[in-house]
Amino acid sequence: MRLGLYLMLMRNNMSRVPATLFLFTAPLLQQPAFGEGNSAAQLQQWVAGHNVAAIRALGPPALPQLVQLYKEAGNDEFKARVAQTFYELSWKSPEAKVALMKDVHTTNQALRLQVQWALGRVSNDQDVVDTLLANMRSDSNPLFRDKAACALAYDQIHLTEQQKVRLFGALIDALGDDKLDVRNIALLALQIHTGQTKNFNPGAPLREREQKVRLWQQWLAQYKSGL
Amino acid sequence: MARTIQVGFVTPILLFLAASAWAQPQAAPTALVHYSFDDDLLDTGPDTFSVFQFGQGSVTLSSTQRFSGYRSVELRDVPGDHAFPELQGYFPLRTKGKLYLHFALMMTDPFEELNIALAGPKWFTLRKDGIGFWLKTANGYLTEVSDSMPKKLFLMRSFVWYVFDISYDIDKGVYDLTIRQDGVEAPVAAVREHPNAPNQPGSRVDKFSFIGDHDTDASKVVYYVDDVLVGVDEAIVHQRFAAPGRRKLFVDYWLSAQRARVSRPAPLPMMNLSDLGIGPAETAALRQDQASDLLGGVLAGTLSEVPDTVAQRSQAILRSVIAWRAGSAALKAGDAEFALTQFDQASQLSPSSTLFQMDAVMALAHLGRWDEADRRLAGIAPQWRDDPRLPATLAILGLARGDLDGVERQIRDGAESSGLMAEQYFLTLLWKGDSTKAERFAESMLARGSAVDRSWWSERLGDAAFLTGDIPRARSFYEASLAEHTQPRSVWLKLSDVYFKLGDIEKERTFRERVYGGLRER
Repeated sequence: MRLGLYLMLMRNNMSRVPATLFLFTAPLLQQPAFGEGNSAAQLQQWVAGHNVAAIRALGPPALPQLVQLYKEAGNDEFKARVAQTFYELSWKSPEAKVALMKDVHTTNQALRLQVQWALGRVSNDQDVVDTLLANMRSDSNPLFRDKAACALAYDQIHLTEQQKVRLFGALIDALGDDKLDVRNIALLALQIHTGQTKNFNPGAPLREREQKVRLWQQWLAQYKSGL
Repeated sequence: MARTIQVGFVTPILLFLAASAWAQPQAAPTALVHYSFDDDLLDTGPDTFSVFQFGQGSVTLSSTQRFSGYRSVELRDVPGDHAFPELQGYFPLRTKGKLYLHFALMMTDPFEELNIALAGPKWFTLRKDGIGFWLKTANGYLTEVSDSMPKKLFLMRSFVWYVFDISYDIDKGVYDLTIRQDGVEAPVAAVREHPNAPNQPGSRVDKFSFIGDHDTDASKVVYYVDDVLVGVDEAIVHQRFAAPGRRKLFVDYWLSAQRARVSRPAPLPMMNLSDLGIGPAETAALRQDQASDLLGGVLAGTLSEVPDTVAQRSQAILRSVIAWRAGSAALKAGDAEFALTQFDQASQLSPSSTLFQMDAVMALAHLGRWDEADRRLAGIAPQWRDDPRLPATLAILGLARGDLDGVERQIRDGAESSGLMAEQYFLTLLWKGDSTKAERFAESMLARGSAVDRSWWSERLGDAAFLTGDIPRARSFYEASLAEHTQPRSVWLKLSDVYFKLGDIEKERTFRERVYGGLRER
């Protein structure tokens, strides 16, 4: 499961770049600068072959070409590949965000998941978080709701502390959602961010849930006051 | 967070008292770790520290900046390299009482991010047994993460040494923190009984770490660490070091880990739907009730509740699978009591499932309730007689209860026909102390294996030779294994053991540092 895998790889600080990666990328450093010759085709090949190391070696100047590849992709499968590349590069890019946002409601499962995961890694714009929150709470597909929560839990890496407060407030608000699964995933996202549940039980009676939500709200107020 | 330096978990108390007097913990604790970076005992290893220098950052010894003595450690992060340098140190797991952490630190630019943490078996995650204590810099401020929220402590100054003293109360889940600026008597920060990072009492710790940033990869921090000391409020009996950086030889660590792995009762893999009591009749019922997709969701882990609108007969099927999945997750996580209740619940809902019942036996074995495990096993054994998973399952049960002779008998006949069984058979022979028989078996497997298998069995032959004391023979097998090994980490460590035994300290270190890194001056 991606959550678990990512938890293991990233949160445990075990997300080490394999040493062999540098063996592969070293020759690239001596290649002509990106943009010369047949580089667009080469980039497409690397995306298709999931050679993120080679793309990373090019640095952020490769981003416009990647965005172009995404926009001009002939099929959703390749788009999902490009989105996955954005995710792994984790470079902020307003252009990538605009392109990805156009597919944030697609019904193509593979593309939707990659887009939802990638968005927080290319942008910390408010509408990114808002859209993911809306997907988490209201998408008709439970899988998309769940994975939007996953993105909110793990992938909002560029948020400022003030933006985090806003995100936590929205997740706490979602603890009061009518849908049990939304309450479940909102709690899980909060737990991943904080390591705490404050004994909130998504299946408990309303009154009990409201009491625990108040604890979360008090915690958030304290968080806010310390910034 | 990485690994670096070690000096002695058994360092005499006098050694750490040599640091500045006001900076010492109030009590006179026993040192678990003390790294002054001034001596020659800088051996990386599983019982000392590791240095991670992936990407373009570095962790090096520095003699230009130091708080005491003549050297410190410099950590230098580079933005955009998708990695961070790390100095990570280890100490025996602390489950209760207090732990004292002391270190000195100097930054060249406090507006660059660094992170310092104490963590437990769940590594650097914000949860119980994960990060217990966490400091970071943000916008120039040194910030503590307490009760899952950042709290500013003070605006740091460049090129000024600060001395940190932390008293971490494991039971209460709180800590006291005092920070002093070098040469200034009054603390620049002092907090008392702040909740630990995830606000979790009883959060265990066994490692510390110094890194740059870990998420945004934007930090170009350069900072220096000196006089790292971890102490406890009670004496700890330490094993002696068996070799540089380790209290046991790597071969022994490897064998212990293998034994722990294969003798830990775990849920069995599902082979087909009939394992779950879902035969043709149940499949038809699910289809008629339009619940087939729901089953897919349950098996994929995306559905954990059954809608009330589903017909009763399909509800029972789906709920049994949900309970079984919950039990499997619990057993993998070590919560065998809960796993057992879930497996039993699944069995009640779907009595024809053989897998639910066998997994319940595994949970009982995990709990050491052997009488009940045997009774239940006897009841379901006829249904499992021809199942290919049975021999391995019985072997796991045998290993869990320490019956090595029984395990050997159980898997001897089928050992050569299956990779996993062969591995288990070989290991069982080693654990029984029958290295000669193990070696003969490994040779027969080596002769018939593919290239990958040959690499694997060469390593096993090296293990057997090492354990019989034939070190040169072990070396030749390990080297042969290395030639075709795709993930040679274990072989590197075993070769480090080999060269330690052969007295070649240079090669011992070369192979060890391939895994744990090394500390050098720039």
